[in-house]
Amino acid sequence: MASKPYHRVGLELECEKEAVCVIMCASVKYNIRGPALIPRMKTKHRIYYITLFSIVLLGLIATGMFQFWPHSIESSNDWNVEKRSVRDVPVVRLPANSPIPERGDLSCRMHTCFDVYRCGFNPKNKIKVYIYALKKYVDDFGVPVSNTISREYNELLTAISDSDYYTDDINRACLFVPSIDVLNQNTLRIKETAQVLAQLSRWDRGTNHLLFNMLPGGPPDYNTALDVPRDRALLAGGGFSTWTYRQGYDVSIPVYSPLSAEVDLPEKGPGPRRHFLISSQVGLHPEYREDLEALQVKHGESVLVLDKCTNLSEGVLSIRKRCHKHQVFDYPQVLQEATFCVVLRGARLGQAILSDVLQAGCVPVVIADSYILPFSEVLDWKRASVVVPEEKMSDVYSILQSIPQRQIEEMQRQARWFWEAYFQSIKAIALATLQIINDRIYPYAAISYEEWNDPPAVKWGSVSNPLFLPLIPPQSQGFTAIVLTYDRVESLFRVITEVSKVPSLSKLLVVWNNQNKNPPEDSLWPKIRVPLKVVRTAENKLSNRFFPYDEIETEAVLAIDDDIIMLTSDELQFGYEVWREFPDRLVGYPGRLHLWDHEMNKWKYESEWTNEVSMVLTGAAFYHKYFNYLYTYKMPGDIKNWVDAHMNCEDIAMNFLVANVTGKAVIKVTPRKKFKCPECTAIDGLSLDQTHMVERSECINKFASVFGTMPLKVVEHRADPVLYKDDFPEKLKSFPNIGSL
Amino acid sequence: MQSWRRRKSLWLALSASWLLLVLLGGFSLLRLALPPRPRPGASQGWPRWLDAELLQSFSQAGELPEDAASPPQAPHGGSCNWGACFDTSKCRGDGLKVFVYPASGPISETHHRILASIEGSRFHTFSPAGACLLLLLSLDAQTGECSSMPLQWNRGRNHLVLRLHPAPCPKTFQLGQAMVAEASPTVDSFRPGFDVALPFLPEAHPLRGGAPGQLQQHSPQPGIALLALEEERGGWRTADTGSSACPWDAHCEQDPGSRQTQRRETLPNATFCLISGHRPEAASRFLQALQAGCIPVLLSPRWELPFSEVIDWTKAAIVADERLPLQVLAALQEMSPARVLALRQQTQFLWDAYFSSVEKVIHTTLEVIQDRIFGTSAHPSLLWNSPPGALLALSTFSISPQDFPFYHLQQGSRPEGRFSALIWVGPPGQPPLKLIQAVAGSQHCAQILVLWSNERPLPSSWPETAMPLTVIDGHRKVSDRFFPYSTIRTDAILSLDAHSSLSTSEVDFAFVVWQSFPERMVGFLTSSHFWDEAHGGWGYTAERTNEFSMVLTTAAFYHRYYHTLFTHSLPKVLRTLADEAPTCVDVLMNFLVAAVTKLPPIKVPYSKQRQEAAPLASGGPGPRPKPQAPAPDCVNQIAAAFGHMPLLSSRLRLDPVLFKDPVSVQRKKYRSLEKP
Repeated sequence: MASKPYHRVGLELECEKEAVCVIMCASVKYNIRGPALIPRMKTKHRIYYITLFSIVLLGLIATGMFQFWPHSIESSNDWNVEKRSVRDVPVVRLPANSPIPERGDLSCRMHTCFDVYRCGFNPKNKIKVYIYALKKYVDDFGVPVSNTISREYNELLTAISDSDYYTDDINRACLFVPSIDVLNQNTLRIKETAQVLAQLSRWDRGTNHLLFNMLPGGPPDYNTALDVPRDRALLAGGGFSTWTYRQGYDVSIPVYSPLSAEVDLPEKGPGPRRHFLISSQVGLHPEYREDLEALQVKHGESVLVLDKCTNLSEGVLSIRKRCHKHQVFDYPQVLQEATFCVVLRGARLGQAILSDVLQAGCVPVVIADSYILPFSEVLDWKRASVVVPEEKMSDVYSILQSIPQRQIEEMQRQARWFWEAYFQSIKAIALATLQIINDRIYPYAAISYEEWNDPPAVKWGSVSNPLFLPLIPPQSQGFTAIVLTYDRVESLFRVITEVSKVPSLSKLLVVWNNQNKNPPEDSLWPKIRVPLKVVRTAENKLSNRFFPYDEIETEAVLAIDDDIIMLTSDELQFGYEVWREFPDRLVGYPGRLHLWDHEMNKWKYESEWTNEVSMVLTGAAFYHKYFNYLYTYKMPGDIKNWVDAHMNCEDIAMNFLVANVTGKAVIKVTPRKKFKCPECTAIDGLSLDQTHMVERSECINKFASVFGTMPLKVVEHRADPVLYKDDFPEKLKSFPNIGSL
Repeated sequence: MQSWRRRKSLWLALSASWLLLVLLGGFSLLRLALPPRPRPGASQGWPRWLDAELLQSFSQAGELPEDAASPPQAPHGGSCNWGACFDTSKCRGDGLKVFVYPASGPISETHHRILASIEGSRFHTFSPAGACLLLLLSLDAQTGECSSMPLQWNRGRNHLVLRLHPAPCPKTFQLGQAMVAEASPTVDSFRPGFDVALPFLPEAHPLRGGAPGQLQQHSPQPGIALLALEEERGGWRTADTGSSACPWDAHCEQDPGSRQTQRRETLPNATFCLISGHRPEAASRFLQALQAGCIPVLLSPRWELPFSEVIDWTKAAIVADERLPLQVLAALQEMSPARVLALRQQTQFLWDAYFSSVEKVIHTTLEVIQDRIFGTSAHPSLLWNSPPGALLALSTFSISPQDFPFYHLQQGSRPEGRFSALIWVGPPGQPPLKLIQAVAGSQHCAQILVLWSNERPLPSSWPETAMPLTVIDGHRKVSDRFFPYSTIRTDAILSLDAHSSLSTSEVDFAFVVWQSFPERMVGFLTSSHFWDEAHGGWGYTAERTNEFSMVLTTAAFYHRYYHTLFTHSLPKVLRTLADEAPTCVDVLMNFLVAAVTKLPPIKVPYSKQRQEAAPLASGGPGPRPKPQAPAPDCVNQIAAAFGHMPLLSSRLRLDPVLFKDPVSVQRKKYRSLEKP
């Protein structure tokens, strides 16, 4: 069928009868084949055969289950992962005199301390991470160096191991993660842990090694970074201050809150809450508590300062309760009752409560001078938190009061989104950390600000126009006309002659879509003042019209059918001028509209004289050549093949594509014309017109379902020359010959 | 025969099914039969511990509450950060107020003009006591003029030392707690969130306006070189990388045949520009590349990118590791057209928004510091990183992007469906009754405001309309027209003059058009500017021509944000100019909107009859003997103050879809527009 001659019968009559036939025939064939499976025969045999069939069928289904749901029988991971006990890991004795690494090098940057050559052969711009095998280290006296491994660190390593980053080939790895657990500095012996690090097989001064630490420092002065000497190793730390954080080298991570997994706080919509400000931390420095209580005295109900409960009965988990005087509150549920939640620094800058606060959709008020907020390299904390200097603590209330309600709601939504994406599990923390390091090594493939920060709802609703720069291309550039043709040579030559009269035409490209017939000889083509190129295609497909041919050297493309001979040179030149003012839109001549059919509950195509337009036909339209690239390579779903198979609606597809990617409406230029064609008279216009409209409506419905939305925009305007139909001497008008029928 | 054939096909189907069953089932059975054990060579992964559930948490319950806080710490080792070294309490009242130290001794022309530019800005104050930021300019590299310790130094607290050009000056005094804004600071000395990284400006950088970006088209020209490399002596060399693997690597120099090189003194003409990260001087190339629309590829930069605190450079430049040349080159070659397109456009936007003139660089610096002071009400990242940029999107107006006319697409929002009519009543002082009725008839009208700006007393009675009508008693100044009155509650404003005459359907149609172009002005009557060779200056005409560049604000729709911009961002000089020569106010508003949008305004149809007779065509409030002559030098004065000519011409008018089409008038929505 594709080899059948493809005729364009005017702009309006683009019926491809063949396409309809194939669909119909196919469905009929299915109908014939269907019942033939169980032929008529004697009842006895029939039952026998039916039983036999059912058995076979059941067998097949059962096998299918085996094939496609292997988890129901065996866990796919268990297949090749050993099951062992943590107590069985090999014990390694650490000699007392084994070397200790240098202390952390504060001047480290990626280009000085990180060996990027190791990441040279990682495919797909993805770093490979190796995890050292778990061992139990003991000193000369058999005393362990640290707790073997904590639940969280095990989860973290499992998450890395399950991710795309993981490799078990130490020689191909770009990043090394020791299995010795340094999440909490208090559970390890500093000197010995450092010795353990130094004896790792690829340690090499800690180059490309990544340590995860959430609770750094120890009494009395609580350093803000892990005290274990670690030389050049990267530190993913949960409590950095500006003094210890190596910008662009270390990664600031959250302190994981175990409550995230324990407590299920359903998302609470943004909006005013019972308390304006709440403080739920226990063990605050008395000075801070005084400040907070002063606020509570001043502002009454709207400020709630909670503390540890002293009078709870036995057996009640005290960490899940908070008290104000004699009132007992559930923690962290109480956070959902507040708009703002105080996150004060304790001895450490990083506080697990930050995670609880975000989970509750409460806007954190971070009072911790010099604290580097988690993932601050990529997350825009201004959108989800308020940072208040410690000395301004007494002004906190008035600072928060000055934030408009709409912004508060935005922050509440953002806070919850940050928790869901980057705080809620150890896995989320681990993967975000690796992603940040990955983005530093392959910056050209990095994740954008919007991908990190925009909540899914915003990502869905927003449109980023690929041609966002307001720019009026110079007139001198001109445009390339592309004529798609099959074999209507005479009409084609007339179109070429007409189009060549347009002053800004810079090149003419004929796409010869007929594989069975050669284009006319060079000598037969009309002689025109601009280069004329003929491109022969391999297959008769409509999408050939929108291919980004190398021959297109201008930004502006005029797609024109081989039977559009009625457009005047003034009209085409004016169309080009309009495109220059709207280079990111489809600028075309015949306009069409889509409508919602309330009876049928679906979209309908409309070509009548309406007051609105939402599409222009690409039988005569200007557009940016970038849309050719998008049509050919980035068309969503199966639309491109569907259009080629149905030999229809390529123009509607282009309208959908451009409207979806730019979020803008088309521009229809100049008054309506009667786009008639010589061949039309022979066919019964009316009935053909009706099938045509049905097909076009089907296209709209099909595309709208593939796009998942209706991207087309309806407008009530068209573009005319400034003086069109004005009482003004015609000869003084730039485009006098416009609007003739 | 028939039944045999049937049976045969049946058996065929049956046996085929059996075969399928055996094939599919066989494997599964085989797998089940074999004991699960790790296959050699398969990925081992992190083990699943049998006793994983029994592992203890890294932080024991009760441990966290114990860590009581210690009192606030003093800044370590002389290093400063924003919280520790800047006192924001002085900036409470009206945001950032800047005092500039007067230069000691004679100053150069540039210095003088920069001072004047800061003094003309809304940040400036003359009293050092009332200022929250004290600015110490250290400008002229070549004169060798070095500033001495100023009077109110106070260990540098709340001071900003601004060095536009890398200073050869020895440090005559300790910087103490002062912030430093300098060109391309090294990463090691730069204090993020405290210092400000400036661009490396060439000596002859224009003070105001500045050259526009060089990009003429969105996508790269076909045949353009992929890479340009900086030369030692200040030029650029383009390299065709199709053949060469490592064009900046010394090893490749031995193979000159595979590469065409070309010396260029001017701006690079390539898609990507490779810039070394070692020498800070290379930073000046960075700006060149930006202007040329050549995507900068920075190889392991040791210096901080300009305004990195607010500008998301990943959208306009590529920072790559110089140690992986092959990967970088491959990545550049394979980069998707979509990404290249986006990066190129962003270079142009950033150049034009923040770098093209010294004035913009200084204002950006102050805006960065103001954002730190504002904290939560600072510009969101979107406002900094998408057109028109943070200098033109004032955070004092709003920080919600959907309140501005520029970000509806990115936000997935739509402009409001209502407008406010603002009618300016000038000297003769006749209440515009007919006009009020015409406007009130529009279904989109939300309120009518009358700005009474003449000596006559306010009339006591106003026409009866369903529309809320507010009368504002103006200050008899023309610039009042564009004051951001708090009573204006809608995004769209229909600016009118008492003499304007519009029909309801003209208003309706124009508003519907405005909704499609909320950032532009949509007007009925137009005028244009042109370059007057004879006088060597700009000319102005209100005659009907085939193109136009301005719409008259005596009847135009525009976003209310432009009132804020007009009042708070235009230099005082210009607003005074408009008050003194009232006809200039139109031109000024058009300049402002064009400078922000970089697009021409939009014209909609206007009834022909009135077009000829109406005083609306006069281009300004009030009837004048020579209606079409605004103050002769108005355009030139404003263009000089802007530093460039932002106006752009359009050749089209937006009409209703069926405008004057040969179809029954009954089918047309805006039929009264067609009345002769």
